[in-house]
Amino acid sequence: MKFLGLVLKSARRSRRRTFLTVLSVAIAVFLFASLRAVLDGFNAAAEASSSTRIMTLRSTSMIFSMPTSHADAIRTVNGVRDLTWANWFGGIYKDPKNFFAQFAIEPESYLRMYPEIVLAPEARRAFLEDRTGCVVGDGLAKRFGWTVGDRVVLQVGIPTYGSQDFTFTIRGIYRTSGAAIDNQSMFFQWKFADERSLVKGQAGWYVTQIANPDQAAEVALAIDQKFANSPYETKTDTEKAFQSSFVSMFGNLNLLLGSIAVAVVITTLFVAGNTMAMSVRERTTEIAVMRTLGFPAKTMFFLVGGEGILMALLGGAVGAGLARLIVNPDVLHVAGGFIPEFGVNNAHVATGLALSVFIGVVAGVIPATMASRLKIVDALRRVA
Amino acid sequence: MALIELRDVTKSYKRDQIEIPVLERVSISVPEGDFLGLMGPSGSGKSTLLNLLAGIDRPSRGSIRIGDTEISSLSESVLAGWRARHIGFIFQLYNLIPVLTAFENVELPLLLTSLSKKQRHYHVMTALSIVGIEDRARHYPRQLSGGQEQRVAIARAVVADPTLLLADEPTGDLDAKSAGEVLTLLQRLNREFKKTIVMVTHDPHAAERASRLLHLEKGTLVEQVTVGA
Repeated sequence: MKFLGLVLKSARRSRRRTFLTVLSVAIAVFLFASLRAVLDGFNAAAEASSSTRIMTLRSTSMIFSMPTSHADAIRTVNGVRDLTWANWFGGIYKDPKNFFAQFAIEPESYLRMYPEIVLAPEARRAFLEDRTGCVVGDGLAKRFGWTVGDRVVLQVGIPTYGSQDFTFTIRGIYRTSGAAIDNQSMFFQWKFADERSLVKGQAGWYVTQIANPDQAAEVALAIDQKFANSPYETKTDTEKAFQSSFVSMFGNLNLLLGSIAVAVVITTLFVAGNTMAMSVRERTTEIAVMRTLGFPAKTMFFLVGGEGILMALLGGAVGAGLARLIVNPDVLHVAGGFIPEFGVNNAHVATGLALSVFIGVVAGVIPATMASRLKIVDALRRVA
Repeated sequence: MALIELRDVTKSYKRDQIEIPVLERVSISVPEGDFLGLMGPSGSGKSTLLNLLAGIDRPSRGSIRIGDTEISSLSESVLAGWRARHIGFIFQLYNLIPVLTAFENVELPLLLTSLSKKQRHYHVMTALSIVGIEDRARHYPRQLSGGQEQRVAIARAVVADPTLLLADEPTGDLDAKSAGEVLTLLQRLNREFKKTIVMVTHDPHAAERASRLLHLEKGTLVEQVTVGA
């Protein structure tokens, strides 16, 4: 403990250099924690997917819809227990930057099949009874300050829904009980959107409840076979596979984000290591003097190494702290639809701090070794 | 019994495969309480001899005994501990740590002891008052004159009450007045506090303050003079 003052004084020797080193570590840890949070968000959504829900989309692309008459055909497939459908609405609330996901859903079956959407019974009833009603996630309601009974006007974002604005009344605010559903979305009655749609009776995707998760592949195949060689061929997969394939639309996200994180960390290692080595080179005489006074090589190793760890840990705390504050669903508002809710949590902060210690240790090893192996006489002669 | 016993100490350096002799079979005996001056031209081996006594360099051959310890056979880590307990070193260029105050510079050797913070404070202030600079305890080296810096360096050298004080041209970078003050201080440490001092110097005025002088030339001892202070 008595050496801590010495370490702190040394770190303050060149404030600008220390500041820049701390900043470089802070940026690295900030990026690492943030990227980790994004990846974990996607992975959590996939992991939380139901094993008894399978999804059917147009085989060509998820942006194309298919007739609601498919529903009857799907219901006849062996192993299907329940079914619902939904459409992506893509409306604009005041300004495109206020993006959030809106889904036109077949309400009764959708709420039945997604118990993760937790609504008060009266809100559920009010929603089902109001053709122009909607329910919004508690995160979304908090973001815009909405309460039950408020009116929300959405401009049409996708031309198929005409050109007239849609006005909804908030009938309920839901919370989620699982990562498969986020709290940043809006759900409203499919009928309302269909009335104004230029092409009637279209569903964006079907969600099918199956009796046995082990039969998912067989049921999916049977559904797709129903529509083979039709103008509306389908591709059916488990909800988890759907989530994963959605993520894969961004490319190999794990590899991409992981590579960025590793590159940032390695670059920071070199920057921090070089800075510390430079600092030790400048202090050659001082280190030699301390060794002359009787400071053992081991103590010098820990003093210089400790300085590196201290700087890196400080940078790590700043980076992880900022990431915790900024990369937060309440601040970012990017979740919704197929983008899962993500935010830096305590585990990411702890990992970030551990990473900063790793950077400090690795970057400090060479300078610390230099300091401990210094030949006193040569070092004194260099300046004297 | 002599405090320092050097027997046939030889030191040579290797540069580009060429062996350069610096000291040749030097034997010296320094009794406890002595103030020994080491003189000689540049390259005569004075500083090398001082470094060997301080245990920061090792002889190529020969024996160096200080007190009861044969230091030439100690391992590096043991030698570091030995230096902390027995050696106070005063450099020509003071070599204070610029980011530490005078107090903190003097406190450095005590950080290696088991003294409490309060005890360390007492020892540091005592050392600073001995060198007459306790009022500058909170000053940084850049805020002190050369003479004051050297006083702080002397306080740092004596604060742990070492067996032996080694001074490498302690007045080499000072004006005449400051040099005189530093030499008076060293003399006082020798006489009042019975410190054994070995001082390397080029300056004949400084050498006069020593009680005994040794002359080195080309690595060998050529003359012993008793000044008789």
